[in-house]
Amino acid sequence: MTTGPVVWDPSTLPTDDNVNPYAFSVALNGRWFLQKGKMVAYYGNITFHPIGYGPLDSLISTSFHSPTHVGDWVVAEGQGHMILADRAYDVNSYDLEQGNLTVRAGNLLAFAPTLALKQSIIPGFLTLIGSGKFVAASNGPVHFVEPPIRVDPQALVGWADCPSPCHHYDHAYMRGVLGGVRRLTGIGGASGEEHQYEFVGAGQVLLQSTEVLMNELVAVEPGHTVPAQSAQANLGALGRQLGF
Amino acid sequence: MQGSRVLAVDLAGDSVKARNGSMVAYDGQMTFKRMSGGGEGLRGLVTRRITGEKMTVMEVQGKGTCWFAERATEINLVRLTGERLHVEASNLLCTEATLRTGTEFTGLRGASEGHGLFTTKVEGQGWAAVTSDGPAVILRVAPGLPLRVDPGAYIAHTGNLKQSFRTDVTWRAVVGETGGESFQIEFEGDGLVYVQPSERRTFAGDA
Repeated sequence: MTTGPVVWDPSTLPTDDNVNPYAFSVALNGRWFLQKGKMVAYYGNITFHPIGYGPLDSLISTSFHSPTHVGDWVVAEGQGHMILADRAYDVNSYDLEQGNLTVRAGNLLAFAPTLALKQSIIPGFLTLIGSGKFVAASNGPVHFVEPPIRVDPQALVGWADCPSPCHHYDHAYMRGVLGGVRRLTGIGGASGEEHQYEFVGAGQVLLQSTEVLMNELVAVEPGHTVPAQSAQANLGALGRQLGF
Repeated sequence: MQGSRVLAVDLAGDSVKARNGSMVAYDGQMTFKRMSGGGEGLRGLVTRRITGEKMTVMEVQGKGTCWFAERATEINLVRLTGERLHVEASNLLCTEATLRTGTEFTGLRGASEGHGLFTTKVEGQGWAAVTSDGPAVILRVAPGLPLRVDPGAYIAHTGNLKQSFRTDVTWRAVVGETGGESFQIEFEGDGLVYVQPSERRTFAGDA
């Protein structure tokens, strides 16, 4: 390495853009929603509030509608630069304009409060509606494909503008005597690709380049007792761990 | 450097200190000698044993090129000219023989990371290679420009920095509602902080 590494400070840090493919800088002036544990460093005067924080009530009522994920999210408030990153995965920002986009809950890092977060009817996915910027992570670069398409559930990052996917099970392969043996014993059978999500209609489907799901961090650490109220919040994490 | 995950070191009779087992290939003539206690002598050995800032190091000496890598983590080169680099022992891959290493007390921060109360310091003139999960982001800290870092993402810093442990744990945390980013290390002073785009599992949780 002949040139020195780049040194960042608040005057050189990009405004709402990537620092490198794995880190994203948000120039905060006001409020942003943030998934817990995705902030790695910040300059300036920023405080982090849980979703249940009283003064945020009006914001929450307009922008956050996901009861099962309440425990996973915080609101960053103040002025300064925040650096977001997620387990050294590729991080990208997307601008949404009067659109809707659904993304795997664990892949969504942060979003501007001009967007409204809703819970998808597919467990473990969150839908963003409105206009604004959000930041999402993927294991490897994201590929955009257009429906009709069938995708592997684990490679799915999210989808935009299309109707919700349906589950496609490769039944033909599991049919008949041979198929029965395959299904019951797993011998010579399961290719591992029997379960697929099927997308039809107009829109875009976002895929990551791996089928390895991110190892989700569990919001409550071992050794801490789980307060009753967050048991529901953990459903989101549980769902993700089950691979939904 | 070969890519960013393999470090190539050309040696001409001199030596480098590297983490045990991090050599992936070499050509020419090399000898690998294990150095107990991080090559810091008996006192260093004992200190490391006590402090838990374990570091198994080998001395590589010879002529040729030696390639080092560690679990496909990104390697960041840090040039030291007399200043001091503070780095987690688990993130230190390789140092030039001209650099001295030692242990240092860090206080509460280390404990919160599950890394123990101590960190490793590297001093002198030369190159040090530091690993990170994903390429490190280097952030400048200047007077009046403090930086707060998630303990799980911190890997190293150089310069004259004062670090303090910052919490905003309030009564809400007690009832189970936390801001999720309650534990931070605050850096003040003048220097550079290396942050990885990933978080270790920490004792303090997803802090």
